[in-house]
Amino acid sequence: MSSASTPESLEAPARQSMAVDIACVGFGPATAGFLTTLSRRLADAAKPPLESAASPGLPLQVVCYERADDLGFGVSGVVTRGRGLRAAFPDLDPSQIPMAAPVKDEKVLYLLDPVGASRRSAALRTGDAAIRAARFALKTDTHAVELPWTPAFLHKQGGFIFSMGQLMQWMGAQVLASGTVQIWPATPVAQALVEDGKVKGVRLLDQGVDRQGRPEGASFMPGMDVLAALTVVADGPVGAVGRQLDQALGMPEGNARRDWAVGMKFVVDLPEDTPLEPGTVLHTFGFPEPEIFGFLYVHPDRVASVGIFVPSWFESPIRTSYRYLQHYVQHPALWRYLKDAKLRSWGAKSILESGKRGEPLLAGDGFARIGEGSGSTNVLTSSGVDEAFTTGVQLGEGVIELLEAGKPLTRENLEAAYVARRRASWVEAEGRVAERARDGFQRGVATGLVGMALSGLTGGRFALGEEPPHPAEKVGTLEAFYAGKIAPEEIAAIKRDCEAKGLPLHDALMDRAGWPAVPLDGKLLVSQQDALLVGGKVQAPAGYADHVVFVRPELCQACSRRVCVEICSAEAIRPGDGGTPAFDREKCVHCGACLWSCPERIDGTDQVNLSFRAGAGGLHSAEN
Amino acid sequence: MANGFQIVVLGSIVPDPLQTLEPVATPQGPGLKNEQMLPAVLDPWAASALYEAAALAAKAPGSKVTLLSLGPKAKLQQTMMAVAQKVPFELVALDGPAGGFTDAREVAARLAAAVKALPGLDRSRLLLFGGWESASRSAGVTLQLVGEQLEIHDQFQGVDELTVGPDGALRVLERVEGGRHQVSVCPSPPAVLGWATGNLPEPKNNPQVGMANMRTVMPALQKAAAAPVGVGGVEFASVAVPKAQRETRVVKDMSPDEVARELVEWIKQD
Amino acid sequence: MDTVLLLTHVEGDGALPRAALEALSAARALAQGGAVSAAIFGKGAAQAAAALAGTGVTGVLTADSPELADARYGSDAAAATALAKASGAAVVVVPGTSRMLRVAAGVAERLGGRVDTHVTGVEAEGGLAVVRWYYRQRIEAKLRRKERPWILAVDPGAFQAAPAQGGATPAVQAVPLELPASAKRTAVEGFRSPASGEQTIRPDAKVLFVAGAGWTKKQADGKPHPEKAEELILAFIRTAGASLGSSKSLVDQAGEGQKVFTFMTHLNQVGQTGSTPRHAKGLATCCHGEEPHVVGWRFIRERRAVNLDANCGWARGKADVVYVADAFAVMEKVNALLKG
Repeated sequence: MSSASTPESLEAPARQSMAVDIACVGFGPATAGFLTTLSRRLADAAKPPLESAASPGLPLQVVCYERADDLGFGVSGVVTRGRGLRAAFPDLDPSQIPMAAPVKDEKVLYLLDPVGASRRSAALRTGDAAIRAARFALKTDTHAVELPWTPAFLHKQGGFIFSMGQLMQWMGAQVLASGTVQIWPATPVAQALVEDGKVKGVRLLDQGVDRQGRPEGASFMPGMDVLAALTVVADGPVGAVGRQLDQALGMPEGNARRDWAVGMKFVVDLPEDTPLEPGTVLHTFGFPEPEIFGFLYVHPDRVASVGIFVPSWFESPIRTSYRYLQHYVQHPALWRYLKDAKLRSWGAKSILESGKRGEPLLAGDGFARIGEGSGSTNVLTSSGVDEAFTTGVQLGEGVIELLEAGKPLTRENLEAAYVARRRASWVEAEGRVAERARDGFQRGVATGLVGMALSGLTGGRFALGEEPPHPAEKVGTLEAFYAGKIAPEEIAAIKRDCEAKGLPLHDALMDRAGWPAVPLDGKLLVSQQDALLVGGKVQAPAGYADHVVFVRPELCQACSRRVCVEICSAEAIRPGDGGTPAFDREKCVHCGACLWSCPERIDGTDQVNLSFRAGAGGLHSAEN
Repeated sequence: MANGFQIVVLGSIVPDPLQTLEPVATPQGPGLKNEQMLPAVLDPWAASALYEAAALAAKAPGSKVTLLSLGPKAKLQQTMMAVAQKVPFELVALDGPAGGFTDAREVAARLAAAVKALPGLDRSRLLLFGGWESASRSAGVTLQLVGEQLEIHDQFQGVDELTVGPDGALRVLERVEGGRHQVSVCPSPPAVLGWATGNLPEPKNNPQVGMANMRTVMPALQKAAAAPVGVGGVEFASVAVPKAQRETRVVKDMSPDEVARELVEWIKQD
Repeated sequence: MDTVLLLTHVEGDGALPRAALEALSAARALAQGGAVSAAIFGKGAAQAAAALAGTGVTGVLTADSPELADARYGSDAAAATALAKASGAAVVVVPGTSRMLRVAAGVAERLGGRVDTHVTGVEAEGGLAVVRWYYRQRIEAKLRRKERPWILAVDPGAFQAAPAQGGATPAVQAVPLELPASAKRTAVEGFRSPASGEQTIRPDAKVLFVAGAGWTKKQADGKPHPEKAEELILAFIRTAGASLGSSKSLVDQAGEGQKVFTFMTHLNQVGQTGSTPRHAKGLATCCHGEEPHVVGWRFIRERRAVNLDANCGWARGKADVVYVADAFAVMEKVNALLKG
């Protein structure tokens, strides 16, 4: 973090500072839960006012700083049971929120590979052959088999399909309308201000700097320090402040963030004659690679979200999302609905799948952690929004309790008022069931699926597999991944060719492995840059430093598996001079997939060679 | 100027620049598909006008900047989160539609009435700023109509620069043909200035400015009076996104010399 | 049948703006063969009426005074209003010059009428209708109004100039005009040309040359060549008399401290928040041809692109011809051929 700070100079304007009572970092479902709860109390005229300690005489000063240029630009999803949401909004009427639909129908599909290019284990291939042989009985004309039974833990009946972007805008509008709290988008937080293990507030990102963070003339404005008695850290799974606190204060014994995925999706306008009904939920596995799960959710007005998850335990060093997503939507089981669909939006984000094992210190002197960055996502039920929202509500209730009692926001008090609430709730209970549910994937897809079912059905008592290692250890080699398909000499030749042309490897290798060229049609099948611009409306304001930095260029130069280039959702990280990748901050969507894909651990520590910091800009679509 | 200027900036929301726009028919006339869902920003040239107003106010003690905006209240609220961090201003909000197909004269009438109702309005110090042409109606008409309705007969359009002389005279640079600017001098307010981009860089986000602004912006939004506007007397016979697909001939394997010859022939053709 | 008036100012050199003759074509289309009268204001308006000889205009009202020499809202609005009132026309067509656009709406308001600007098409069949762009040239609408008078400001370049068949100057009638002091407060001091000295925006050029961000990127030898790029681009602009456009990304680079071209400013930006210029031909070089930029090419009739990427946006329906070639080599040769 420190290399982005201001060098002292005579001309440099002084760093300004101001004080509030509560500063929140990030506006996602967790902060939405927190501020909904808090703002309702602050606006309640029947209760005694909560006074500001930072500005005596004024009401409690609560601000939220959101990195993205608007609320709802940085999020994506979702299908949820919405228990916490409905508790906070008992009259929740999905027709009031654009793109929301009650869940009507859920299916799980196993997708066979009609292309023949995916890498399938012998066991899986045998299974596929058996399915094809029984095709008349199993109706596999679309190269897919519907599971006759969906495990209960995956059910979302009684829940909702939302566009997270729209949900966040709706919640944000409600919170703002109360007039009691402020939300500031386009305001990235660079770091928390930590002193002797206590958090004093936050420091915002410097503005008016060049790509290396150096002041650029008259427009330079050092990031303001916002001092606060309580900093609510809710910046999501890849947020800079959360990770800074993990490093500065340590994580609970044995906890670490090991398991990740990047979700990439399209939002589409379905064809006029679509048979798909709003509320339809489709989950898939098996294609484009067995490791890649997918989904299709149907919103009202013939809109659908379709996407895939590329996990950190998928050891291909050329793992890439966009091309796989293009093949996914062309799978016959999906293409029957998506042919002639039009691209409306596009986005990508990382999901922290470590669950309780990725839980940081939930509270300390001057701070509390809520949301996905606090390990609240349930990896068994694949559910995170409601959990995040609920942790926010829990913190809100705890803070209100403390303020009403005039108690300071110390670690002990926050643990008693917030953490205890969380531990006593369904979020914790269900999180414990999910704790080891995905360990089986460390051994392979089949083991993983069986392990999930086992964990789910035994309430978490039994699990398969083992705890994931640091994600860098999961990155395999090209030779191993393509063993039996492409000879090592040919791989080396392709690598040399791509390097000479300055291209990433994935297209050349996937082409060679038998993945067909994608027939661009200008409707749904478009170039990655077109998806970025026309779908994601990706933009970045000028005057900010690069937020992806390669710590030791020599490590990059020696690196033989530049996964960061391959996995980058936006082609913002590209092959660069002499091996160190080039970064184009105007394309970055801040998904953070690069941060958990880098295979170069610095001196064997948990820190990798790629530093992913707070930055401005990104997606400008509120439909994801 | 001893007492500074009263700068009233007229401007409203437009869709965020990269959004896909598609017209749809609504009972109120043409609109945009998913208009409520489209992320919105303050019209870019109106935003320039606001920043220029703030810069001018900072140099002329006693000045005040008021942003007067007619738009859907919820979207104005959202847009304010981005704008309010930039420069100090007060907001007067009117709750009504802000689409490009609304009638400029109806909008102008609402705005003019609101300007006249501003407390302590002093014509001798009034500068009416706005964007020259919006990114929605793109007509360059509304500001002019408001000026006329307020009987202000010194109006400038396509403004990139305003400087105030020691005698208080307003020197204005307006864009004219050929990439040039016309230089005019108006002895004193009132005056109307429809801004283009101006020359100022976009102000950085300043949380202190934001917090100070919010003290007046939130109450202003809460009291926003309803200001319904329609399409006026216009009958829209057709509203469409024109097709822009061509049959592209992709020429590979031609040497740069041959390409150059073909291009020069094409350029010289009439 | 609505009576139609062409209302325009006269230029400083005593001629009518070219856009006025184009607006006359629009006026004639709206008059459906009926009479079109004209009105001219400005210093030298009476003499300028001669430019309308042989255009079929039935009479010219003028407001001619030294006080109308400069483009100024107060006096221009008063003069234009007086002329329109004197004519009593139901439809008033004005050229979309900066001088007329400054007052068109104000004049409509004074006449109790309505105004539509940036008109790019007119129709008379089925009732008078105009075509204009909304949302920065992204949506096109055809509309009709019942209220009169209806002032229409016509976009330059949207219509062909009305041909003058020669003959007698139409009858000129001066309209008396008394300008109140409030119309004369502002004084025009003069004009200022761009500081850079290089005039790269040429609205009347036949060719628009768009230089994209690719000019500043690394070339085949692994190095960028900004000086060579600048030399090639400027040489083409000068030799071909082309107008220079650019994409937002290149124009923005100036703010990021990267070496960019000294002759390029945000005024050169085409598309997105930039301009939508009107030229017969457009040549895009080193530019991806992505939708937000290409929207600015709405009024470029013939389009060609030079790009090493055969899959760029231009190749997919946005240009007529895409040459997959190195722009540095191509432009070097183009400049040589144009010079020789």
